[in-house]
Amino acid sequence: MMPRPPDPGFFIGYAKKVPPEIAQCALLVSVFFLLGLVSASLAFSLSAQDPGSGGYVDELKGGRLAGVLETLPYPILRVPAQDGKGPRAIMLSGQGKAGVANAADPLAGQWAEVSGIFVKRGELDMLLVGGRNGLAGVEPPAGAVQPQAPVALGRWRLTGEICDGKCYAGAMRPGTGLAHKACANLCITGGVPPVFVTTSPVEGHNFLLMAGADGGPLPRALLDHTGLLIELEGEIEQRDDIMIFKVETPARPGVAS
Amino acid sequence: MSTAYKPVGWNRNKLIYDAILLCGVVAYILLYLKLAPLLSSSVRAVDTPILRMRAFGSLAFLLLTLVLAIGPLARLDSRFLPLLYNRRHLGVMTAAVAFTHAMFVLDWYFAFSATPKFTALFTSNTSFGSIAGFPFELFGVFALVILLVLAATSHDFWLSFLSPPVWKAMHMGIYAAYAAAVLHVGLGAAIDGTNPMTALFLSASLAALSVLHLLAGRREMAIDDAASRIDAKTDWVDVGALDAIQEGRAIVGVLPRGERVAVFRFKNRLSALSNLCSHQNGPIGEGKVVMGFATCPWHGYQYRLEDGCAPPPFRERVRKYRVKISGARVLVDPVAVPLGTRIEPVVIDGAPPPASPPLPSRRTSP
Repeated sequence: MMPRPPDPGFFIGYAKKVPPEIAQCALLVSVFFLLGLVSASLAFSLSAQDPGSGGYVDELKGGRLAGVLETLPYPILRVPAQDGKGPRAIMLSGQGKAGVANAADPLAGQWAEVSGIFVKRGELDMLLVGGRNGLAGVEPPAGAVQPQAPVALGRWRLTGEICDGKCYAGAMRPGTGLAHKACANLCITGGVPPVFVTTSPVEGHNFLLMAGADGGPLPRALLDHTGLLIELEGEIEQRDDIMIFKVETPARPGVAS
Repeated sequence: MSTAYKPVGWNRNKLIYDAILLCGVVAYILLYLKLAPLLSSSVRAVDTPILRMRAFGSLAFLLLTLVLAIGPLARLDSRFLPLLYNRRHLGVMTAAVAFTHAMFVLDWYFAFSATPKFTALFTSNTSFGSIAGFPFELFGVFALVILLVLAATSHDFWLSFLSPPVWKAMHMGIYAAYAAAVLHVGLGAAIDGTNPMTALFLSASLAALSVLHLLAGRREMAIDDAASRIDAKTDWVDVGALDAIQEGRAIVGVLPRGERVAVFRFKNRLSALSNLCSHQNGPIGEGKVVMGFATCPWHGYQYRLEDGCAPPPFRERVRKYRVKISGARVLVDPVAVPLGTRIEPVVIDGAPPPASPPLPSRRTSP
């Protein structure tokens, strides 16, 4: 049998007197408990990684943006070059964990105006459609030019993480990683455009809008791989300033870290 | 001890215990949510709801580790017994902290969607076929349900209603909750690798609890292995030497069927009781005779030495055994007498007679 420690007195919880040895020990334990929790709190909180610089940007300031609406793989507004800027392809999403496919589909290929607020992270711009008539069809402006056709960039094998584009851009920080996986799936199934965040840039871009191999929305099977470092293969095409990754299933676990 | 059930039977020690717990919890959360953002731009950049989830989640895991450490610590060193006295309040607080964590998760990650929150919780991640990416939230739900059930049934009313063996078996579910919490943290935050402290604390918690339980288990096995010898002539059990029993204390022997018996020495008389307190099966033999009563070290439940009954108005009873002295050895009849049977304590030959009436019949309620 193991030796017992010396008798430190006897503690009875409801008794008014606590033996001095027990009181001293309780005091030490209390100090240790409080200091332990204080240290653990700071250790946990201060060792958190920076979630990135994404966030909300009110670029339109109540104004509207016009362009040609494309609906596949997800709603994209092709805004012509203006104000010295080149043509832009802006991903559109809705409020909460919802996309804008329902409102966008009837306007496929037509001119439309949108209002709302941007979430931006690096070169990733996503417009969260909102306000009165947030997404509405309009007559093409005089001298309107059609968007350029997609440019095929060939077949690629990329390593990275599937994220919902809205949270990755800064709607939630961090909007990446395993803790966020279920939330990202909820966003993507709700119609928020998913993006593939790559470990190394592709033609200067470190994220790509995701699509199925047929150019439609992301296949549901790939939701098993969100929030994980994986390797994907597929065709890449460019529409203005956005890259679209038409991925093929199945995904393979990534090798990088 | 109880004759009526109140929501909480407060006393000074319980108030101090809970006050320290509350201070620790409040300090942890305040530092996490208020001080850390002032010290680090990385923390500032994290959304507040996510910071809250992390703060309450990590605290719940730490508290759960502490809850599970108290048992073996108290077995290994009696100075930790005061921690055990009010452990149920720590358990309830842990459940409350874990519940707060879950609510923050539910109202952030699973909200703002056309899918109802609870439906989304169970359907938005279905990667059951892989370890990385497995819906670790489900382990958290499982652990939380157990913690809430245990918290809801922690009161002595449920202990009495369900009976101590059933209640105790049910509350051993805390280990299932811990296992689920380990998987929840391990497959979620730790495998994610975005905070190295998570994996470190998870490993430290597992290692500390494993070592403590192994040491405490070894001690218990050592007690049972110190097989009490059966006297060939009488079939009584030789539980130890008479001079090994200190005044007011007991030695613990093991009966043939494995039940432990505690032989107390009080005013140079010997009395044998079951070692299992009828409250929570605490080790009465590691207690002490206080005001003439054998007193359990866990929650101070008391029993008369001559019949194993708690004094009126209390009604708890423990088994009572016959005891005798053979030379320098103490022998116990392995067959318990019917509950409540009075047996006069055995006088130790040559010992001075007691100066006061040997056995009390009443005591003050706690």
